[in-house]
Amino acid sequence: MPDVRSALRAVEESHPHLYSSICDETGAVRRHVNLFVNTLHVRDRNGLDTPLVAGDVLTILPSVSGG
Amino acid sequence: MSDRVVLMIGTKKGVFVAEAPSTRRKFALRGPFGAGVGVNATLVDTRGATRLYASSCNPFFGMKVLRSTDLGKTFKETKSAPAFPKEDGRAMANIWSLEPGPGKKELWAGVEPAALFRSGDGGDTWEKVPGISDHDHARKWTPGNGGLCMHTILRDGNRVHLGISTGGHYLSEDGGQTFKASNQGVACGFLPDPYPEFGQCVHKIVRHDAAPGRLYMQNHGGFKETKGGGVLRSDDYGRTWKSIAKGLPSDFGFPISVHPQDADTVYVMPLDTSTRSCPEAQPAVWRSENGGGAWKKLTKGLPPKDSYFTILRDAMDIDDTKSPAIYFGTTTGRVWMGRDGGEKFECLFDALPPVHCVKAAVV
Repeated sequence: MPDVRSALRAVEESHPHLYSSICDETGAVRRHVNLFVNTLHVRDRNGLDTPLVAGDVLTILPSVSGG
Repeated sequence: MSDRVVLMIGTKKGVFVAEAPSTRRKFALRGPFGAGVGVNATLVDTRGATRLYASSCNPFFGMKVLRSTDLGKTFKETKSAPAFPKEDGRAMANIWSLEPGPGKKELWAGVEPAALFRSGDGGDTWEKVPGISDHDHARKWTPGNGGLCMHTILRDGNRVHLGISTGGHYLSEDGGQTFKASNQGVACGFLPDPYPEFGQCVHKIVRHDAAPGRLYMQNHGGFKETKGGGVLRSDDYGRTWKSIAKGLPSDFGFPISVHPQDADTVYVMPLDTSTRSCPEAQPAVWRSENGGGAWKKLTKGLPPKDSYFTILRDAMDIDDTKSPAIYFGTTTGRVWMGRDGGEKFECLFDALPPVHCVKAAVV
């Protein structure tokens, strides 16, 4: 079954420059980047192993913070 | 066109470019470029058509390298930035130094966690330099307060000197293929063994082409057990080091600079070990004109008291005009210029973001 991890892998293949802004070289999602499947943060589900089904929307949302 | 003086000012919120005629009466400021993102390293590459580079160290989206071909009127990202190969297991945290390499368009970058990268095409593609990045010591180095950074890259023919905090000074004599720790006499007052083979918290190293073999180092001083071990000089290509701190109010500090036209003239900004600001809150640049044998305090034009800023390791530089001026930037966002090698200071900019680095060049 496809999951968030495989979706990110597809981004890496199709848009490597964008992928490097989402994940670091080790494959870890960058600290200030949040991933939502529909309205739920993946940390509240199964992380990168959160499954995706047809019609799900994966939102990649960076934090807006600083000073 | 007559000579122009260009300053690259890397700050917490992007890079600024200041430009003035060689009189340096008035600097025009441009920027910030890479707005909102910290810049820890800049380079004015005057080989051929001048190119300006800045690291853009984005905690949200990772590292970028910015490049300008119009003297800092505009910047664009290069096609890629240094990145560790997946199998390496390390993730890039910052780019701390950018220096010209031996090839025409070659650039070298020192990064955090401490490693060296090379680009053969002006910053569009990068590769890890394994001789130091995968050195046996590399996984034993530990971060200082600024992170585990490779902040100094000095080339001298086939010799390459690297400064790592905390890792120490490493020397290559085969153009960067292999490196050896070279820290004899470099104190490490925060460890049980104050003179280990490696692990020193070196803050900055400089050299001058006219004095082959000589290096000046600002080390992490401030320890009474290793008194004087913070400001050092080597006369044998960095194999051995000796203190030149006598006469300074503190051997702790971050930047060190050498006069572009006189290898015997060296500058430091001693800092109090607890506040990391100038002793007694009175800013001063200290200059030696005999290679560290004696020091003179330079304060004319600087605030006389109540100043608690810090000057970071790359935040001081000297231009190469007929009468060079020395520049330093502060963590409180001020940039100072000291004409005649620091005889008289004036504030160029007084409300920039906290300054990480300052580079001066004549173009």
